[in-house]
Amino acid sequence: MFGLSFLAPAFLVGLAAILIPVLVHLRHRERSEAVAFPSLMFLQQIPYKTVKRQRIRHWSLLALRCLILALLAAAFARPFFSRAEAGIALDGARDLVILIDRSYSMGYEGRWARAQDAARNVLDGMGRDDRAALVFFSTGAQAASGLTGDVAALRATVDAAEPGAGATRYGPPLELARRLLEASDRARREVVLITDFQRVGWDGQQDVRLPAGVSLTAINVAEGDDAANLSITGVNFDRQTVGGRERVIATARLAYKGTQPLSRVPVTLEVNGIELQTVTVDIAPNSAQAVTFDPFTLSAGESRGIVRAGTDALPPDNRFHFVLSPGQAVSVLVIEADGAAAQRSLYLRRALEIGDRPPFRVDVTRHGTLRADAVAGRDVVVLNDAPFPAGAAGRALIEHVRRGGGLIITLGERSSPASWEGDAAELLPGAFGAPVDGAGRGVTLASLDRNHPIFELFRAPRSGDFTTARVFRYRPLQLAGTDGVLARYDDGAVALAEKRVGRGRVLVWTSTLDNFWTDIALQPVYLPFVHQLARHAAGYAESRPWFTAGQVLDLAATRDSMAFAPGGDEPGTTSEMAEKAAAVTATTLPGLAGGELVVLAPGGTRTTIGGDHPRVLELAEQGFYELRPAGQANAAPYTVAVNLDLAESDLTPIDPQELVAAATAADPGAAVAATAASAGSIEDHERRQAFWRYLLIAALLALAAETALAGRLSRSAS
Amino acid sequence: MPSATAANAMPGARFLDPRVLARLDNLELIARTVVEGFINGLHRSPYLGLSLDFAEHRAYIPGDDIRRIDWRLYARTDRFYVKQFEADTNANVSILLDVSRSMSYGREGIPKLDYARILAACLAYFSQKQRDRIGLATFDRDVVEYIPPAAGHFELVLHALDRARAGEPGELRAPLAKLAENYRRRGILILISDFYEEPDAVREAVRRLRNRGNDLIVFHVMDAAELEFPFQDAANFEDLETGTRIPVIPEYVRARYRELVTNHIATLQRMLGEDAVDYTLMNTSTPLDQALFTYLATRERLNRVR
Repeated sequence: MFGLSFLAPAFLVGLAAILIPVLVHLRHRERSEAVAFPSLMFLQQIPYKTVKRQRIRHWSLLALRCLILALLAAAFARPFFSRAEAGIALDGARDLVILIDRSYSMGYEGRWARAQDAARNVLDGMGRDDRAALVFFSTGAQAASGLTGDVAALRATVDAAEPGAGATRYGPPLELARRLLEASDRARREVVLITDFQRVGWDGQQDVRLPAGVSLTAINVAEGDDAANLSITGVNFDRQTVGGRERVIATARLAYKGTQPLSRVPVTLEVNGIELQTVTVDIAPNSAQAVTFDPFTLSAGESRGIVRAGTDALPPDNRFHFVLSPGQAVSVLVIEADGAAAQRSLYLRRALEIGDRPPFRVDVTRHGTLRADAVAGRDVVVLNDAPFPAGAAGRALIEHVRRGGGLIITLGERSSPASWEGDAAELLPGAFGAPVDGAGRGVTLASLDRNHPIFELFRAPRSGDFTTARVFRYRPLQLAGTDGVLARYDDGAVALAEKRVGRGRVLVWTSTLDNFWTDIALQPVYLPFVHQLARHAAGYAESRPWFTAGQVLDLAATRDSMAFAPGGDEPGTTSEMAEKAAAVTATTLPGLAGGELVVLAPGGTRTTIGGDHPRVLELAEQGFYELRPAGQANAAPYTVAVNLDLAESDLTPIDPQELVAAATAADPGAAVAATAASAGSIEDHERRQAFWRYLLIAALLALAAETALAGRLSRSAS
Repeated sequence: MPSATAANAMPGARFLDPRVLARLDNLELIARTVVEGFINGLHRSPYLGLSLDFAEHRAYIPGDDIRRIDWRLYARTDRFYVKQFEADTNANVSILLDVSRSMSYGREGIPKLDYARILAACLAYFSQKQRDRIGLATFDRDVVEYIPPAAGHFELVLHALDRARAGEPGELRAPLAKLAENYRRRGILILISDFYEEPDAVREAVRRLRNRGNDLIVFHVMDAAELEFPFQDAANFEDLETGTRIPVIPEYVRARYRELVTNHIATLQRMLGEDAVDYTLMNTSTPLDQALFTYLATRERLNRVR
């Protein structure tokens, strides 16, 4: 099927000029000035009606003149054939997959309406036996329908659809189209991609190839947009504790991509529905700017905030949502041996007390005076060179770990291997033995697992040197394997090991955390190292002020159970969902552990997760999600702020031809149709064909013929 | 067309394009140029009944035959004079010129009226040369000017011709009937017209002239466009005399028009021939010599009959 299209169809209006020669010929015939003649005696004898009937003489001349004008109009309209490739079945019913981009960039002024119109046009062009499937895509792709011939239903689906909050990804829809068309046995299979062709949606890495013989038509709805866009790329929070209250200084980062400067753009900070401050800024073309607001005090509960910046053709990314909560202190209980020196935990306690993100609340107790209820409510328990508590305290400690608490064990003179028997033994990653003296000046920490969260902080160069610390004595820890070893001394002995017990963590430091067996407490890395140990053992994670649309929250009760199994086999979803797994964020919600949760989405829809449903929440909308335990409608909700994927704010276009070529170049030898009807490719297409030149030449030839013919007729007339 | 064929077949004639003659203002000069040139081309003198009785001298004007210069008078006066002679008049020759508005038409060459005036002047000059009494009548739907035939009326005739202008719509019957009353003495009548009337009406009108025993010579003057109808562009055609307009596409009416005109001419020729009237069709694009030849032939015939 050859579709004749025009690059500049407005010039076809020039076809109306064909009326000019027609009128000239008619006018010519009925010339107003009379021809004087001596007598009409003879002419009046000739019947008039035979004269009247013939209105136009010189039909050939008229046809030539009309042809010249038509050729000129057609040449200026720059025609091209939109589908001229071979190898495509031209007859028979076809299967059509219409891919419609509903990422939030499609909310750019006018784009969505154009996309709907384009989809309707495609549907209107369907034959009686044709079938079509609608696929909406953004971060993922979902088929709104299977292949069907019910055009009315498809049109209704198109009419009802709206742009979402996701970012553009071209891999999932093309993959879904491939699956749908692979199942088709029809000779004519076509894919129509209706999108704004953002470069961020295609990095060239996606290995998606349409089957051979499938044509891909790209329709660019961003044509003519200037693509100027102002967006808020993020908000930083600087927290300070003043008088026991947390004060926050928010700094919003604005990015502007456009050629015209913006002046007096209002940037507003709103917290809990109250507009706190508006700052007016001028923004230069293609630049970024930071806007710092005055500090505000955090209230006791959650604080919902929105930063808004001006208005433009793409409003969604002009607002930024966040949720702030006052910092939660980590409770640490340090257990010393009964016979230990009075200040045995001085270094450890002081180091932890300095911390403010999070703040640590440290209590120190003796092994002999430890009661079972002292362990309850603790985030982390530190056995600082002390034997394992016996009796109820010991059982409480074991239960503490199993339920998700942290346990840090430092081995020293008073660490008694004999005390770790029975259920306590399961807490240890391995058995430890008698103290070993380091040779000469002691041993150093030589091997660290810098990918582990504890040492991740020291991964960058010059961000912490553990080799300066000397360990003069340690207790060797015998592990069954290498799993769980986080650090080793330079003699190969284990320095730090981890074991997960139940939902908790046990960390064993095979030396002391003071200056008795080692001088690490005197090294600069001591403070962050101890903080990291405590944070990791407590399973502490800062509450995130916001998430990004498209992320999936795993609301399982503990981090250990966090696992995401994307529903790749579900109808309408794709393996591209696996990409989402990378975006899965584990979140432990205070007070929401276990049971069903009722989720109120920003759009007002209410869903239930947990219980029989997967305790997974896909963040598909921009705004605030409210989560409450089921049956507690009056309970204070846990709020999750969701912002748009900022990559989507970059409206830089990709050449549709590049995408089409990549998606249809599966078999270079096969005849694969790939036609781009979008703006950039249309011009290339038309330029390659350049039919206007032939039309212009034909017009010139016709003009020469007209001149010759008119001359001949004129001579014969005279 | 018959006229063209006759002109081309005429031996020894010197053809002068009427458009060239029309540029000369002096009708007498034109007439002399045509007639003398015509006569010089003939093998014998056409003049009949020429007398050699001296009448008067007159001043030489360029174009006069130098053989007629009176050299003795020149020797006395140092000026050129030519001799003029009295002669017996042979006949009354009257020219009846149609000056109706349709005669003003001229597309291919000069207007028909101009052609007709030159023709009349030539005939008058020729007649005067052979001592005929020359007269003139111009008419449209009425008699416009009447100069009775007389021996000294040549100049008057030329002046009248010079003044003649096409104005009113024309008609043959009434003015010719009126003129017929004036030509009581038998003579030669030369009728010059475009004859835009039905042949029967023409015949009836002409018969009145003929009934007095006059010899009648008819010159039918037509422009080539009237004969050929060469128009190309469709247009409204306006009748010069009545002002009536009709839309015409020449391409589709040409053949029929030519047929009608040819029939008209043939009918006129036939009818007038039946009434012993000499009919000659004059195309304004053809030289005048043909008209003189026709006239001469007629005069010869008349003399023989007489």
